Amino acid sequence: MQRIFQIDGEETECWLGHDGSRFVLNTPNGTVACQLDPTGLPGGYTLRAKGVVRELRLAVGPEATFVHMNGRTYEVGRVDPAERLAGSDGGTGDDRLVAPMPGVVVSVAVKPGDTVKEGQPLLVIESMKLETTLTAPRDGVVAEMPFAEGDSFGLKDILAQLAPEEE
Amino acid sequence: MRRIESLIDTNAADYKANYAAMSERLKEFHARQHAARFERPQRDIDRLERQNKLGVRERLKLLLDPGTPFLEFSTLAACREYDGTVPGAAVVTGIGIVQGREVAIHANDASVKGGAWYPHTVKKVVRLLDVALENRLPVVHICDSAGGFLPLQHGVFPDRYLGGRVFRNQVKLSQANIPQIAVVGGHCTAGGAYVPTLSDYNIIIEGTGAIFLGGPPLVKAATGEDVGVQELGGAVMHTSVSGTGDYRAATEQHAFSLAREIVSQWKRTPKTIIETASYEEPYYEPKELYGIIPKDRKTQFDMREVLARIVDGSRFHEYQPDYGTTMICGYAHIWGYKVGILANNGVLFNDSSLKAAHFIQLCNQNRTPLVFFQNITGYMVGREYEERGIAKDGAKMLMAQGGSVVPKFTVIANASYGAGNYGMCGRAWDARTLFMWPQAEIGVMGADQAANTMADVKIRQLQREGKELSEEEIAAIRDPVLEKFRRDVEAYTSTSELWDDGILDPADTRNALGMSISASLNAPIDDPHYGIFRL
Repeated sequence: MQRIFQIDGEETECWLGHDGSRFVLNTPNGTVACQLDPTGLPGGYTLRAKGVVRELRLAVGPEATFVHMNGRTYEVGRVDPAERLAGSDGGTGDDRLVAPMPGVVVSVAVKPGDTVKEGQPLLVIESMKLETTLTAPRDGVVAEMPFAEGDSFGLKDILAQLAPEEE
Repeated sequence: MRRIESLIDTNAADYKANYAAMSERLKEFHARQHAARFERPQRDIDRLERQNKLGVRERLKLLLDPGTPFLEFSTLAACREYDGTVPGAAVVTGIGIVQGREVAIHANDASVKGGAWYPHTVKKVVRLLDVALENRLPVVHICDSAGGFLPLQHGVFPDRYLGGRVFRNQVKLSQANIPQIAVVGGHCTAGGAYVPTLSDYNIIIEGTGAIFLGGPPLVKAATGEDVGVQELGGAVMHTSVSGTGDYRAATEQHAFSLAREIVSQWKRTPKTIIETASYEEPYYEPKELYGIIPKDRKTQFDMREVLARIVDGSRFHEYQPDYGTTMICGYAHIWGYKVGILANNGVLFNDSSLKAAHFIQLCNQNRTPLVFFQNITGYMVGREYEERGIAKDGAKMLMAQGGSVVPKFTVIANASYGAGNYGMCGRAWDARTLFMWPQAEIGVMGADQAANTMADVKIRQLQREGKELSEEEIAAIRDPVLEKFRRDVEAYTSTSELWDDGILDPADTRNALGMSISASLNAPIDDPHYGIFRL
């Protein structure tokens, strides 16, 4: 379904369409004809669906829409499908840090045997007038730091190696 | 469009150190800007009062719609020239709102050297009129100038982009059906006489305004004729005898209300329609930019964190997020206008150049204006990259960028070195507006590299002559060169020379871009067409 809504914390897929004569709400369980008419009150509407008529009030905010109906308020948020359906493509990090370009090591922050967290700085390199901090691709233990401060390295040289993850 | 998820920790030590460093820089910047706008020697203020004239800032207040923004260009022009004695190059330029419409404004500042034209004054005025031509903006000239500064007449008068270009651009504006009005609130002598006379409409203020090819002293010297300012070129003579002036204003207030009335008569051309969304403030606080921009220019930072504090809702649709990752490309909105953004996240490689070239073509195809955020130390060098054709791929990027038909805007956010400046729409590449951040640097190479190269040449030359140099002697050669280069690459040098349209407080970037984009839509967008891509 092309739209995902979160109603009071629960995700629902639906899509509002028009069949030529009226609005229909398409849901995974089929379509429901519905009609929403303003009542003249601020944010006030009359909802007709499945033969039921309900008075409701709507408040639209930047993050969510609030629907007040039957003495209760429902919070309806929109979930970005591209984000929701992307999955965990980050995956597990690599064991190695590979030089993105040739350069010189400015400083080394860790030594073999150190335990590191994902995103923790391992070393700083300089190339093309820019200092770049290279960080741990995942949580782990440092196995090797082949270059010391001041050393030059080439493209795709391994700058840091983490110990393999245990299964 | 999804929101950028910021990873910035505003409690981190380096964030706080960066924030403090940028705040310090901005304190200096705002002080310099205030001085350039308002601080004048007492005798100059007294002289204006004696002449019964308002200052240029008060004139702008009378002209512009109250409560509307004025995008001032190059406030610190000439700040490193003439020993700093010509603040703003003696002229105020910018885009403002008059009767609800965007106009380009050129206003002499008579509190600086009587509004004389220095070389940098001419450069600033020509640039403003280029902005008017490119964006099809009507122009309001506020004339009050002593004329060309004679001791520097060679820097004011003869060349292609000097004095004559001001009038040439006025002719081109008129030819392109872009209206102009001049308010004469002081003397317009010699060449200056052509500013009001080439305008479609002009207003002369009685008592203070005058237009003549030669003033009374020159007439006396040339022909012996004795004549006063008012008889020679005053408001009454020109509006009732010569027809050189259109309207006579009793006071400054009268002149500017007439000017506003005339602007409101002009035909409104519908603006170019591009994709828009409803306006949204950035989700992340723009002032957090102060803590994100590293205090050491060499330290790398993620440009997405910058974009998150500039674009609507901090929302960004990234194009090719996993390819050529040193070049960030994607769509966002600024003030509701859809834009294509190109931002550097490192050196330009083959893949990042190709990605940029492709994305620029996409934006031209769907008529999306382009915004460049520069932090570029160059295209990658070395055998590996030459063999892969880095120069050829860079050429593709230039061909796409330079051949763009959509409006382009550039922010030099940090480094702007070498050919990277070209690829990322530097000054030569027709950005509609180009702004710099105060810590940014611009040069053919970094100051350290340039100074070392220059010093090494000198040292080797001395060594060839058999001179043995001590450490101190080498330092004595290198240090002054380095100091000069460091100064030359600073944003203040750039803005002094008008290589940009001004330095911005990073937190103001969003509004400066919003106004620039809005103004650019006064001009139509052509169909895309390019030169030859070296494939």
